Amino acid sequence: MHPHPAAPKTTRANMLRRAIVGSGAVAAGAVVGAGIPDESFSDPSPAQDARILNFALQLEYLQARFYAEALRSAGLTGELHEFARVAGAHERAHVAFLEKHLGRRAKTAPPLRFGEAIRDPHRFAAAAVTLEDLAVAAYNGQGTNLTRPALAAAVEILSVEARHAAWVRDLVGKLPATRAQDPLWSATKATHKLMQTGFVEA
Amino acid sequence: MNERPSILDGLDPEGRVRESLLETLGIGRTELLLAALAGAATWTAGHASHAAGAGLTENDTRILRFDLQLEYLQATMYTQALRLGHLRPAVRDAARVVGAHEWAHAHALKTILGRRAVPPGFFDYHGVTEDEHAFLRPAVAFEDLTAALLKYQAIRLDSRAVLAAAISLHSVEARHAAWLRRIAGVLPTLTAFDRPASQAKMRDLILSTHFVAEDPTTGARRAPGFTG
Amino acid sequence: MRNRRPVIAAVLTAATMVSAAALAVVALHGRGAPAAGDSAPGGTRMAHLSADAAALAPPAKPAFTVATPRPLRLSSRVSMWAPVILPTVARARPRAHAHIVARISTRTPEGTTNILLALGVRRDAMHRLWVHVRLPILPTNTTGWVRRTALGGYRFVRTRLVVDLHALEATLYQGRKALFHAPVGVGAIGTATPVGRFYIRDRLTRYASPFYGPIAFGTSARSPVLTDWPAGGYIGIHGTNEPKLIPGRISHGCIRLRNADIRRLATLMPIGTPVAIESGR
Repeated sequence: MHPHPAAPKTTRANMLRRAIVGSGAVAAGAVVGAGIPDESFSDPSPAQDARILNFALQLEYLQARFYAEALRSAGLTGELHEFARVAGAHERAHVAFLEKHLGRRAKTAPPLRFGEAIRDPHRFAAAAVTLEDLAVAAYNGQGTNLTRPALAAAVEILSVEARHAAWVRDLVGKLPATRAQDPLWSATKATHKLMQTGFVEA
Repeated sequence: MNERPSILDGLDPEGRVRESLLETLGIGRTELLLAALAGAATWTAGHASHAAGAGLTENDTRILRFDLQLEYLQATMYTQALRLGHLRPAVRDAARVVGAHEWAHAHALKTILGRRAVPPGFFDYHGVTEDEHAFLRPAVAFEDLTAALLKYQAIRLDSRAVLAAAISLHSVEARHAAWLRRIAGVLPTLTAFDRPASQAKMRDLILSTHFVAEDPTTGARRAPGFTG
Repeated sequence: MRNRRPVIAAVLTAATMVSAAALAVVALHGRGAPAAGDSAPGGTRMAHLSADAAALAPPAKPAFTVATPRPLRLSSRVSMWAPVILPTVARARPRAHAHIVARISTRTPEGTTNILLALGVRRDAMHRLWVHVRLPILPTNTTGWVRRTALGGYRFVRTRLVVDLHALEATLYQGRKALFHAPVGVGAIGTATPVGRFYIRDRLTRYASPFYGPIAFGTSARSPVLTDWPAGGYIGIHGTNEPKLIPGRISHGCIRLRNADIRRLATLMPIGTPVAIESGR
């Protein structure tokens, strides 16, 4: 039976803490890389986890702000309003989770402006489709580079982003799932797509 | 084992013909499985990874074989519901797309597993596929639990390449779950974080439905009593 | 009892502080100059998305890819069969007390699982499911209704076999495409092969009876003439030890193929395949 390093009983919070901080006690004066057990795939590391999760945090900040502002200004009604409310609450929870576990490592978001996308229900919905699909592709791409504990936490978030994507796509009359396999985007590609939305002030 | 290429190769969504080939060649399922395992043990590196399960660890193979059976179970359920369920348009459109995805997943898993692939089980949906309302319940349950299962498996895979594939399937299953939940009239999402669920949990769900039935014995080694 | 908690807390705190310090070391050396001008209070920095993204490794390449399929489309020439899992009756109508047409057992005379070709499904007034089935009884072409609960899981079949009694040929189709074609021996005058719609019920192999060749398929067809035949007088499709008689009208009703042909047919024709026997005139 293949040994499974992930400890099933730990909470999501514990797993992420172990990923970022390093599992097990580290002797005083030790340098990163020596003595921290690598219980993951060959390349991933707690340091890289922190960089990846910081990147994810940026996406979550953006989404949380987007939904919050849309709820204030986009004149949303009916199920679209419910979607924004529910998804927004989820994104806030994701932000809180990632901020807490990155601690002092957490970066703040760059300036954001959503323009027309938060002033009109149709534009809001279209932007939500773009952002949620983007989040799925970005998390998928980065997921393969996480340590197992961090991956365990990331898939719990990514799964919800995929549900958001399906939901809002259905709301605008698009197929919730077009492909049998979702793309894996590099962070560079995800950033490029994000910059194309114009929501991030350069 | 030495199988002639024929129309039996590849998936046959509406009829499983492989059994007849095995019976004709006089090889039972157990013998085929043993032959496949023996073959896999002697497989050398350097073959294309799509051939005969080369390069997969035993752990990853076990995980993917489980997933393959699950995909067969779901895919067949969608096909049967389309045929028998008198589905209203929104449900029919979802079943056509989601079912096609599940068959595509099964085909991809079957290909990567090669000789280690499992044949489809014999499924009895006990009247569920003849009724749209009855069909949606297990459809939603399976999609939700499949997404949960893939999270559980993701952190237990040995191969990062297999993880990359699994992760890209996992988000599609989560989309399916949200889609079907909305059709069924419930909230597409559960909570801010979707929890994983183990293979044991999935096995429990499958057992509770009694969807996996015994293969009927349609072959025999007996002299015929036909009129001649 | 000693209270160990303060000791453990101290160790964890020490570990956390050391690891955080170690990570801070990485932060200073690993990334070059911070983004211009932007250091939020508390020591966090503003993200510079492009630069941060460039520092991240590309995704691992998936072990397999899944092509995007077309949505499922159901082809029209598909038949369905189901095994009989409970002894039951077939009724003339899909209703609880309708006339019983036949008693259906779970086993065939060959000892295989009895199967029925399903033609349709309907609900009665009590919302129970009934399945319209082709019956392996006389008179030929009799159908009836059985309770869904007496049947197991459905199987779908895309092939169908057509036997032309005039041209003395059997053809296996899938959709409109002919997969197989061979000459056949059929019933002699007096013991004619029945005309009608039937299905393949089972497959017998590895028996020591050269008269039937290497493989024999059981069908739902029964001889209307040989009604006293042991085991019901069912029509089979099988090989032969007299290939020179094929094509010909030579049998007691069975459809005989040359052995190479029956072997080939066996790789192409699954159980449950519907069989249409036509007079061909």
